[in-house]
Amino acid sequence: MNEIGGAPLFFLEFGDIVIYFTPFTLTLFILALVFTVFVLVSRPERQIDIAFGGDAYYAKEISLSELRFRRFMSIACGLACMGAMVTGDVFDFTLFVSLVGICNVGIVAAVKSRHVQNAAYQYGLVALAGTVPMFSAAAMIAATTGTLSMLELAKGMILIPVAAKALLVLGVMGEGMAPFYAAKAEMFRAPGAPYVIMCSLSSLLIFLRVAEVILLL
Amino acid sequence: MWNEYSIGLAAAFACALIGFLALVWERDDLHKLLLIDLVETASLAVIALIGTDLSEALILPGLVVGIAELLALSQIYLTKEGYQHHPVTRLNIEVMMRSPAPVIISAILVVYGIILSGFTGGGIAGLGIVFLLMSRSFSGDFHALEMASGISWALWVAAFFVFMFAPQWWYMALMGAAIGILLKVIAKMSLVGAMWGEPE
Amino acid sequence: MIIQRISRVLSNFDNILPVFAAACAAMSVFVLLSLPLPYSEDQLYPKQIVPGSTLNPYDRGGPPFTQVSIHSQYPENSPTAGYVTAYLTPLSLFISEHTAYMGTTIVAHPGGILDEILYNTRGLDTVVEPTILFVAFAIAAYIFRKREA
Repeated sequence: MNEIGGAPLFFLEFGDIVIYFTPFTLTLFILALVFTVFVLVSRPERQIDIAFGGDAYYAKEISLSELRFRRFMSIACGLACMGAMVTGDVFDFTLFVSLVGICNVGIVAAVKSRHVQNAAYQYGLVALAGTVPMFSAAAMIAATTGTLSMLELAKGMILIPVAAKALLVLGVMGEGMAPFYAAKAEMFRAPGAPYVIMCSLSSLLIFLRVAEVILLL
Repeated sequence: MWNEYSIGLAAAFACALIGFLALVWERDDLHKLLLIDLVETASLAVIALIGTDLSEALILPGLVVGIAELLALSQIYLTKEGYQHHPVTRLNIEVMMRSPAPVIISAILVVYGIILSGFTGGGIAGLGIVFLLMSRSFSGDFHALEMASGISWALWVAAFFVFMFAPQWWYMALMGAAIGILLKVIAKMSLVGAMWGEPE
Repeated sequence: MIIQRISRVLSNFDNILPVFAAACAAMSVFVLLSLPLPYSEDQLYPKQIVPGSTLNPYDRGGPPFTQVSIHSQYPENSPTAGYVTAYLTPLSLFISEHTAYMGTTIVAHPGGILDEILYNTRGLDTVVEPTILFVAFAIAAYIFRKREA
């Protein structure tokens, strides 16, 4: 087979969906795992506002419920990333990527500020619109080749339409768009550092993985 | 060659094109949400075009992802716009507020849903609970519902692992998954019903 | 200058969705231009219609507790695939024996080809899917409660 990420090291079979680890996907998997553990053990930063012309400063308080919720979302995001890194099925990959997208919305949307909520809403709309090209791509691959398994597709026996590949990339771009737009600056005004970093990291990882998937097909 | 599949794809993507063009011009946030929901239908059409049993099984996750994100986004929208007041709290019909009829109807729906079981059964039983919540005031305690939702999710994952690692117990796994989906759909629908309005 | 202008448009997050929608619209045009596409005849889980069966269009053969053969991707990974397909609950068995309309309601009952795919052979998809729903409801419930508080 066409080995972009190196020879598969081992397989984990779940029925039709085979999870496989190559050196490439294993590296990404471990990266996602390490960051999820970091999120699990770290405490959020507290933003300090300094009043100009004086010594006064005040720290923004983060309520316990908000902290727990955002930590839950970040961990879910990390787990979704791990799944997206190693899955060997096109449709399963798109599902994991949409999970990453909605977790990113959740991480940001927990912040009370109206401005941040607006950014989260706009990003959420893009994430929702991104599922359209993604699912269409998976469906077109299934219809034109008769299989969804990346291991079968990687054998290179069947030609996959360029349109399907392009749709897949566009969909993943929509899901992982958060850190790439200037909305980034708006979102990063949200207090709570390690959780917001999870947004960036997850989109970086899914971009790396989709590049591999496209080259593999 | 223009086979049936290509003709179907042409129709589906023509619909998607119209929807996306509308999204380019639309400025109102609520209308954007509605338009995206419309465009989602085109992607379901593309999945349906596979035309096998597999496509029917793929439509369910595709549909659920859209509905789930729609629900989360609509809540964010309400917060973003700062809507606090809910003028409609329940069905304001005197007979339904007082008489035991809603309880009886809901009980029938719930029992019938449990007999049906599975996704549809969950929908019917959930409808019964939503109807009850709409006709009576609800004290807003979500913890039981969220716990039921969590338990059903765990049941489902457990059933999945039985299917994968102990396939000879497929019957137990099937029943576990069926009860899991029943509980899940009931809990989610009740949650939606409870969010619809709250007592003054 | 052009880059500056582009960056100014993109820096306003109200413009993200129109830009993405425009990209999707352009992609739809591209897909329309790339038609026609071939349709592979060798599909997984092909749909069979058995005329006259009370389980139509979901009749995949076999009495309950027997294994029917289904065309899955990796049959060796699911040794018991086919049992769920043939399974009918006692209620659905009763309906199918006495009326001709069981097929319209079969998806409501445990058992059948869709449950086979959803729970067994492509079970991981269906585990991810309630997880998405779970996360979305967690977001909605959290925001709802916070707004009421």
